[in-house]
Amino acid sequence: MLNKIWTIFKRDVKVNFREVMPLYIMLAPLMLAIGINLITPGINDTTVNIALIEGENPAQEQCLNEFAHVETFPGEAEVLSRVKERDSLIGILPGDNGYYILAQGNEPESVVEYAKLLNVFFESGVDIENSKASIVEFGETVPPVKKMLVNILLLMIPMLSGMLITLNIVEEKADKTISAINLSPTSRTAFILGKSLTGMMISLVTTVVCILITGFYNVNILLLLLVAAASTVLAMTIGFIQGINNDDVMEAVGSMKLVFLPLAGSVAGYELLSGGWQAFFWWSPFYWSYRANNIILGKEGSAGELLLYTAIIAAICITAYALMLPRIKKGLQ
Amino acid sequence: MISVKGLYHSYSKDDKYAVKNVSFEIPKGEIFGFLGPSGAGKSTTQGILTGLLSLQKGDVSVAGYDIKQIKQEMFNKIGMSFEQSNVYSKLTALENLKFYSRLFDVPTRDPKELIELVGLRGKENIRVGEFSKGMKHRLTFARSMINNPEMWFLDEPTTGLDPAIAANIKDIIREQNNKGITVFLTTHNMYIADELCDRVAFIIDGEIKLIDSPKNLKLRYGKRIVDVEYIDGSAKKKGSFSTVEQKDRDALASILHSKEILTMHTKEATLEEIFIKVTGRGLGVSEAS
Repeated sequence: MLNKIWTIFKRDVKVNFREVMPLYIMLAPLMLAIGINLITPGINDTTVNIALIEGENPAQEQCLNEFAHVETFPGEAEVLSRVKERDSLIGILPGDNGYYILAQGNEPESVVEYAKLLNVFFESGVDIENSKASIVEFGETVPPVKKMLVNILLLMIPMLSGMLITLNIVEEKADKTISAINLSPTSRTAFILGKSLTGMMISLVTTVVCILITGFYNVNILLLLLVAAASTVLAMTIGFIQGINNDDVMEAVGSMKLVFLPLAGSVAGYELLSGGWQAFFWWSPFYWSYRANNIILGKEGSAGELLLYTAIIAAICITAYALMLPRIKKGLQ
Repeated sequence: MISVKGLYHSYSKDDKYAVKNVSFEIPKGEIFGFLGPSGAGKSTTQGILTGLLSLQKGDVSVAGYDIKQIKQEMFNKIGMSFEQSNVYSKLTALENLKFYSRLFDVPTRDPKELIELVGLRGKENIRVGEFSKGMKHRLTFARSMINNPEMWFLDEPTTGLDPAIAANIKDIIREQNNKGITVFLTTHNMYIADELCDRVAFIIDGEIKLIDSPKNLKLRYGKRIVDVEYIDGSAKKKGSFSTVEQKDRDALASILHSKEILTMHTKEATLEEIFIKVTGRGLGVSEAS
């Protein structure tokens, strides 16, 4: 049976790599991961950029370099030109009464204030050693926006894998090949498992690649995969049902898109609603997946908490799978 | 090889039967033709025999397996060539056969050999989506032999094929039958049935009207008459002569001796004519092969 499951899996993977639509579905998460990297800064990129005149005041340049990213230019005109570019870069230039701050005017106020503060520190001769404050932090190492976007991406990946199963079933129906499979010593269970393996493997591999692309190298990838696997069971169930109910690729993908509604609702519910209202989303495996991923990506929570969430996701998804299995088997007759 | 007793099937699960009280036996090594017009119950019967449709009422065994409780291993012994080709259009011909061969638990035939056998040599690495209807049909036919079946179900195996390729397919069927393979041939094409089948069953409105060999049927239902066209003096004449009545036999002998014969045909009945005579209905579709 394992050999037959593997054969069905290999066929589906081969076909998925030959067609535009499945290929697009497989590449979409990777492109989104790259997009997240481009639109959200990394933790080290949140510094202020300052432009100075080269060699005008080496001591100032050395001091500011400790707190900001400093670029130097040959003269005032070049600094002026650089400041006018689209990004937020503040110029600190010598004037008649000491240094003045040069900005476009549309920079975040905090950036301008930070540049002013750094200049005051330099002029007053204040150093980090002068501070008596000790640092107390929450341990956040990742920008919250990036973590949220990556989390949403991780929720989407199993759904896209479900779409691949839908496309594979629709292809089998269009080619009328299911009857040929039914006349081979391959059980429907083996057929379903072979198709499921395709969805599961693509989901897990894409999850790992997206995590690496977005730079979350130090998170517990095994736990992330556990959550992804549990969510993929639901995606596979929906994928099979949509495949059985639709004869046209575009119709099938269109129906599958509706699944993104509870996904978006669950994310919004978790992020926007207060604790008491969150109970309304306990039915949704997306809610628990988002919650579990949030903990994993932020390197928070205990293993017990994570296992509890994963168990809840698995329980909901496996129940849905078990309830739908007879319908799936009948549909494949 | 196949035993069917009192088979009934209703799609609506009431007394509107698509197949009623169908019974027949097919011994090992026979080519059995199941003939009837569209909607007669051929596909339903074949669907039950192959396990694609569930058995509702009756006793059916195929290749020694009771169809009531189908075991997966039964499919190692049967092959099925579908009327509508059903191969993966996104895989090549070779990939299709290799994929299917891996689904069986018994030694399978070399896919390349099968591709060559059905005249698709040189096309093995072309995606089936680019194949013509006839090429797809031949690939479906080739696939049905991949597991060396003991019981071979053929549903309209020559439909849509040009005469030369159809002749090739018929040769393959004969060749396989000579190796001892039992064939269940479903068709409405009386010519192929006449050429290939050891016995035929006429099915109409879900009931079998008759089972016999084509030869016996022709003897039973054919007119023993010879039509002759000849020249008598300067006139062209036609005559029909019984091959049984002595008076007609003498007259025919006289014409053969003294006249110039233009054409002469025996009036042996075709299977199609016999079918119409027995069932009172036509086959709906007739095609040359």
